[in-house]
Amino acid sequence: MSADVLAADDGPDPDAARAEEDAALQDALAAAHAAIWGHGVLGGALPEADRPVVVAGEEAHRDVRDRVAGLLRSRGLQPAAPRAGYRLPFPVLSPVDAAALGVVLEDGVAAAWVTVLGRAVERATRELAVTVLGATELRAVDWRTRAGRSPVTEAFPGL
Amino acid sequence: MTGAPEFSRRTLLVAASAGTLALTGCTSFSDSDPADEVTAAQVDQLAGQVTAQEALVAAYTAAFAASPELAAQAAGLAEQCSDQLARLRAAAPGAPGPATGTPPAAPPGDPRATLRAAVAATAASHAAACPDFSGARAALLGSLAAGLRGQERLLA
Repeated sequence: MSADVLAADDGPDPDAARAEEDAALQDALAAAHAAIWGHGVLGGALPEADRPVVVAGEEAHRDVRDRVAGLLRSRGLQPAAPRAGYRLPFPVLSPVDAAALGVVLEDGVAAAWVTVLGRAVERATRELAVTVLGATELRAVDWRTRAGRSPVTEAFPGL
Repeated sequence: MTGAPEFSRRTLLVAASAGTLALTGCTSFSDSDPADEVTAAQVDQLAGQVTAQEALVAAYTAAFAASPELAAQAAGLAEQCSDQLARLRAAAPGAPGPATGTPPAAPPGDPRATLRAAVAATAASHAAACPDFSGARAALLGSLAAGLRGQERLLA
């Protein structure tokens, strides 16, 4: 049989796999941008006593944003920029609403990083993802507690 | 796809300036996705993670036997832990079935503290194993590790 008849199977395309990882990282970066923006809303809806929690969460998301943006730049890619604006999924009129928004933000970030785990070809990327995912779930537990959710833990965060 | 476990995966979609925050999407293990292929060594490693999760389920049983108060407070955590074990078994080719035998003896000391340490150790084990895999199994192990970190926080 001529070699021209059938296409060669050289296994997975490494460039395509790397592109999938990069796309997942861009989505995770977009989720970080959204979470940073959302923390501004949280800060306005929660009492002053809760400000350290909001600040710590926002700083964590900024750290992840900077790390992912740097990683993408090192690969010659333009990191996703924050959107000009976002629309809240529901009105945030009370501390409980704010906590519920905190859950939405952290769960969204968790989903993005689980996607990174599923698509990453670089071990270092998976190491970053599992670290970020764990920290995100810890914050989500705190927000679910404040929001009066039950249960406050999830068996499969991000899945 | 036959016999493969499926799980939903929500993805945060960040819309444009007139956008909204929405959660959607799904994924599953795939027999044809190279990322979901496992080597013989990875099969053994997955079996080890199943064993670790089984030990954690047993630790919950032992802790609850030692502390009815803890059993009342943390029954939901034990249920989540068992759900995790089922999903992990489904992701582990050739994993042994549910272990049988006598329940573990009550742990010495504070049952809550002992249980929390077991949860933390299992979370660390899954987190350490996660980067050794790719595809849906990496996603699952990372998610399990994160879920158990949440449980550890609650047991503090």
